[in-house]
Amino acid sequence: MTLDKYEDMMDSCVRCSKCKYIPQIAIKSQRFSHICPSIQYYNFHAYSGGGRMIIANAYHKGRLEWTPEMLDVLYQCTNCGGCEVSCKWVYDFEPNEVIHELRVQAVESGAGPMPAHKRYIDLVKRNNNPYGEPIEKRSAWLSDHVEIDQDSSTLYFVGCTAALRREEIALATATVLNAANEPFQLLGSDEICCGSPVYRVGDRKSAIEIMETNVALFEEHGIERIITSCSGCFNMLKTEYPRFVEHDFEVIHTSQLMADLLKDGRLKPTKEVPLKVTYHDPCHLGRMSEPYEPYEGEKVELLSQVYIWDPPKPMRQGTHGVYDAPREVLKHIPGVELVEMERIREYAYCCGAGAGCKSAYPDFALFAANERVEEAESTGAQTLVSACPFCKTNLQDAIKTRASPMDFLDLTQIVLRSLEGGG
Amino acid sequence: MLEDNVYQKLSDAVGERFATRAPAILDTYAFQWCYEIESVQRGEEPSRFGVRPAAVVLPSTSEEVQAIVKICNDHDIKFKPISTGMGPWAGVSHPRSIQIDLRRMNKILEVDPKNMYAVIEPYVTNAELQAELFKYGLMHHAQGAGPQTSPLASHTSFVGPGFTSPYTGFSGRNLLGAEWVLPNGELLMVGSYEYTGKWFSGDGPGFSMRGVIRGWMGAYGGLGVFTKAAIKLYSWPAPIDFKWELSGTIPHYDWKVPPYWKMFVLNFPEWEQFEPAFYEVNDHDAVMMASCSSAEGLAGLFTDTKMEAIEAIFGGVLLHAKRYFIVLVTAHTEREFNYRCKLLKAIMEKHGGNDLIEDGVITPRDAHYAESVRNMLGGHAFRFSNCFQSTHGGMDSIALAVKIAETNQPIKFKYIEKGVIGDDRGEGVWTTAYECGHTAHLEVPTVYDAASVESCKGYAEYQDECNEVDLQNALGMPFFIVGDKVHDYYGPRTMDYPKWLRKIKATFDPNGVGDSSHYISAHKEEQ
Repeated sequence: MTLDKYEDMMDSCVRCSKCKYIPQIAIKSQRFSHICPSIQYYNFHAYSGGGRMIIANAYHKGRLEWTPEMLDVLYQCTNCGGCEVSCKWVYDFEPNEVIHELRVQAVESGAGPMPAHKRYIDLVKRNNNPYGEPIEKRSAWLSDHVEIDQDSSTLYFVGCTAALRREEIALATATVLNAANEPFQLLGSDEICCGSPVYRVGDRKSAIEIMETNVALFEEHGIERIITSCSGCFNMLKTEYPRFVEHDFEVIHTSQLMADLLKDGRLKPTKEVPLKVTYHDPCHLGRMSEPYEPYEGEKVELLSQVYIWDPPKPMRQGTHGVYDAPREVLKHIPGVELVEMERIREYAYCCGAGAGCKSAYPDFALFAANERVEEAESTGAQTLVSACPFCKTNLQDAIKTRASPMDFLDLTQIVLRSLEGGG
Repeated sequence: MLEDNVYQKLSDAVGERFATRAPAILDTYAFQWCYEIESVQRGEEPSRFGVRPAAVVLPSTSEEVQAIVKICNDHDIKFKPISTGMGPWAGVSHPRSIQIDLRRMNKILEVDPKNMYAVIEPYVTNAELQAELFKYGLMHHAQGAGPQTSPLASHTSFVGPGFTSPYTGFSGRNLLGAEWVLPNGELLMVGSYEYTGKWFSGDGPGFSMRGVIRGWMGAYGGLGVFTKAAIKLYSWPAPIDFKWELSGTIPHYDWKVPPYWKMFVLNFPEWEQFEPAFYEVNDHDAVMMASCSSAEGLAGLFTDTKMEAIEAIFGGVLLHAKRYFIVLVTAHTEREFNYRCKLLKAIMEKHGGNDLIEDGVITPRDAHYAESVRNMLGGHAFRFSNCFQSTHGGMDSIALAVKIAETNQPIKFKYIEKGVIGDDRGEGVWTTAYECGHTAHLEVPTVYDAASVESCKGYAEYQDECNEVDLQNALGMPFFIVGDKVHDYYGPRTMDYPKWLRKIKATFDPNGVGDSSHYISAHKEEQ
């Protein structure tokens, strides 16, 4: 893939600014009208999905060369895909894909990624995680009461952030799985990063190497199904891996699994959890988890200047993300009242942490998280619930910074609270 | 390129973080929709990249805007303000120009429900303002450019027809006052505010200036910077406790339609029946929306994707839709609603029409009601090829609108036959009356492919031919009559109005720093 593939769409951007906002029909207030944290923080048009598509176009046409400012514009974006949802309401464009491809170009030309990204990519290569923690620390979250079945063909892929920074999520997940008698194995210190932080900043070559290593590891362990509690890992394994490496394992997120287990009666939430909660859709579980359906077809001029794809090409506009499962889970928990924010589902506002922003641009990441927490507060909920350890880290930072009265729980934690003997 | 000391002054005026001359950022202001047409009309190859500004600044207050404009006057720098910015008029035309991006000026400053006006800054968008006004039971006129565009830009500087024009008029009619940073940097309050502290009237007591600021067309950003605007509001025909509730997932959303709202598609065999029916519907002051298009347009308006639209075209719309107009009836009470529906039916029957919705030819979804009042339906036209633009645009009577449509059809069809513009059999026009009167706007939305050189060149040629036809047949002024060349083309046969525009430009912009590319130069020889 190169920017050549996107040439027509880059030339056709109307610069309409829809990419800055949630789909226009969904706007309920001026306060929460934006979808793009980057344009909201940095303001110049360059910081919108459309703006970056123009930069990619200008670079592709030889109008621009890499400069520090251009790299900043490129990487001060969480690659959350919100711009693409709003754009595709009308147009047949893929600004988020173009942004990613420009990052790949930046890396391949030696200009990118940013120093903070290079540091953590080295750590992933050396320690199998971007935090630089020793390999053996990966299982430190595990407590004696967790039952593991190393013969199971189901793997709980813990992920770097839950294993090394948000251990409570790893523990809650394992405990909930045990409560449902859902057997799983762990890779323990053999588990390596899924590659998301490497892939998202454009180091595609290193990311593919990680993907290949992981697939071989899963095959070696006889894995047929992977459970993730991290939305970033889910997105990589479920959506991005099939684009680059062949595999035949099933990938399921804890929210989906718990919704099924609750429906089947294998999980029985009996304890009252008297909380008014609001739910934050992680970008990588929601709009970004929609699969890339393999497509082969051609552009046909049906009417003069009106082209269609034959056969019809899938739009990938966020329709098929995981939105209902986490809400179903919350509805099953006695005492929980779910109140929605204005920006939800495919047009949810990003937490601000993704695509290397938390490490390279912490002020921007915190700004976005503050925005999201303020929106959560506006619902009157006392607890912000989500389903991603990376979102949790950033949103909790905002809760602390703004001295918010809210607290944060991962979906697995709130389910655990509702179980007899749970937390 | 700006001298370092001059750039430093600009940067100091807004703060370092809000000024830039990084080429990557500047290029995002050099790229505009329809530049490709203007470049062809200049004899160049089509390109959406135009002139790169020398710097971009992001002021947050009127005082900062004044400071920037004064620096421009002191150092002979041209400037062009931009809000959401969509179209060639938004960009600069000279390399020694700066772009004043008004994005940080985005506040709704006041809503006066009793006097029914709102005071807004430049980067408030139509959708944002509408969402806030509903809470007061009010709405504003939103221009057809779309819900993501700036009502201040349209009210002060453009024509501004919209889908609710039968009810809310056009942008120029709704300007009740403005705070105006003149091209020399001075500040002028327009309308009643200066004398009363209230913006209830655009024509005083106090300076009126609406004719100077905008006339019919507006100055397209070539006559200073409007930093506040007071705009007229209208009653929102829904219960006071109505909430904008959306459900579902893209692309099929559901919306809770307020009580006493109903759409009709009144279809007539020929323009001969369409015209009196359109007059009568507007005469009775009974509709929120009444506008026409082609069969292809109808399919595009009431579907959610391009493929759905294409299926609808060939699934019956093409066969049944002739000369139709879409009507949205809204009412506050059941009695009012029943009266309006009966009235429409009577007019339809009198002129031998039928209702394509009642006949099952097309069915608007609930969300299309939301899109109609949010001015989103026009954007559906982009679905066909990611691009369209409009020719013609005479603001005159409904009868003249019909005459333009009839005159245009064979011309448009000629370019369709050449394969350079979208195929609507030449019948794609969009008409709306203003304020339920006899004055109407007609433009001819035309699909083309911005990524195709042949299509861009073909569309440009088509637009030139339309302009010539308008002039030769006295069909009124085109919608996008911008810049010296076009003004001077029409001037000799239209009472030499460019002379007056030039007097205004020379008086208010003595140093010629306001970018005149889409307005007019103070002196003819400056072109």
